Amino acid sequence: MARELSHSYDQLVEKAQEIFWIHGFKGVNAKELAEYVGVSTSTIYNKYSKELLFIDSLDYYTSTYSDPFLQQLRETTEGLESLKGFFYSLVEALLERTFPKSCLMVNTIVEMRNENQDIVDRYDHYLIVLKDSYKVVLNKAYALGQIKDEKSIDTYADFLLGMIFSLSILYKIKPKKELQTYIDEQLQFIQ
Amino acid sequence: MRYKEYNVNGVLEKSIKLFWENGFRGCSINEIVNMTGVNRFSLYHEFENKEGILYASLNLYRERYCQDKLDLLKKDGDLPVILRDFYLSFIDESNPIPGCYFIHVATELADRDDKIKTIVDTYLTEIENLIDTLLQLKGISSENARYLTRHLLGLYCTAMSFCLIHTKEQREEHVDTGIKVILNNYG
Repeated sequence: MARELSHSYDQLVEKAQEIFWIHGFKGVNAKELAEYVGVSTSTIYNKYSKELLFIDSLDYYTSTYSDPFLQQLRETTEGLESLKGFFYSLVEALLERTFPKSCLMVNTIVEMRNENQDIVDRYDHYLIVLKDSYKVVLNKAYALGQIKDEKSIDTYADFLLGMIFSLSILYKIKPKKELQTYIDEQLQFIQ
Repeated sequence: MRYKEYNVNGVLEKSIKLFWENGFRGCSINEIVNMTGVNRFSLYHEFENKEGILYASLNLYRERYCQDKLDLLKKDGDLPVILRDFYLSFIDESNPIPGCYFIHVATELADRDDKIKTIVDTYLTEIENLIDTLLQLKGISSENARYLTRHLLGLYCTAMSFCLIHTKEQREEHVDTGIKVILNNYG
């Protein structure tokens, strides 16, 4: 038991997030989770629960990966060029396996849909930040004269929300060149 | 010929439901045995392993649940309406589980299992070919059809993932916006 005490809860979440990212929520049972994070199975059952660790893993993922990534996007200055760079680097990360798998939030949406309200609340946060970040960049694109119709910015942001989802599936079967063409053309649609 | 006391497609039907609801990794062979009432020996004899059940279940899903939907792309009518009906047929209330089983399995496994990758690729290529044919039938040049098809396939992927967490109205709106933005220049 002494070993268990050496873990802080935050460290447990960080570890749990790794295995959830690879296998999803349902693909990890309590025993595997316990072994991976280094506590006993009864600790998972009695003290934390798999669900609680999963929800905290989503928060960890958002604050460690997606929020900073989107913060960088909001700070860019080149409008559509910056968006292109953002999506290119996403494809790069997916193909180079910089991350263990495609976006944890995207995978969770496909896996869990609306089964659990606490998880649905996490999607809301994620999607609001995502759309807001696109709008910030689209407004800069408008100021740069890259987009003609200011009124369409909201529609375009909605359209782009789909991109992270389609890329998360298409990268598994399409070559890099075609993914880049896909990104270029998606951005042409909104000019 | 060996007499089978169980119906292979019945086993696969139940496996689709299990894998779709609990994921492939989240579902043990014991659960399949319990759900189908077919013993492990018979299952392994027929399908070799759990992966074999998954592969066969994707085939059955394609035959039983996708054919009618894919045929919508061959119907007459307005292009945006045909496309809309096609996308929504997968996510409307008539489906026991809304979405696409291929996309669900691909999200869990396609970057680790080459056979799944091939199966998903074959399915999505079939959709691409149908859309491409449809667009050309509507008088769009082959070059433009190929380009638009790429994005209409992307919209399919989005509709089968992102749209699933939204209300019926929001799903329809996202699909309509997607079609409108993509076809905009070719009205």
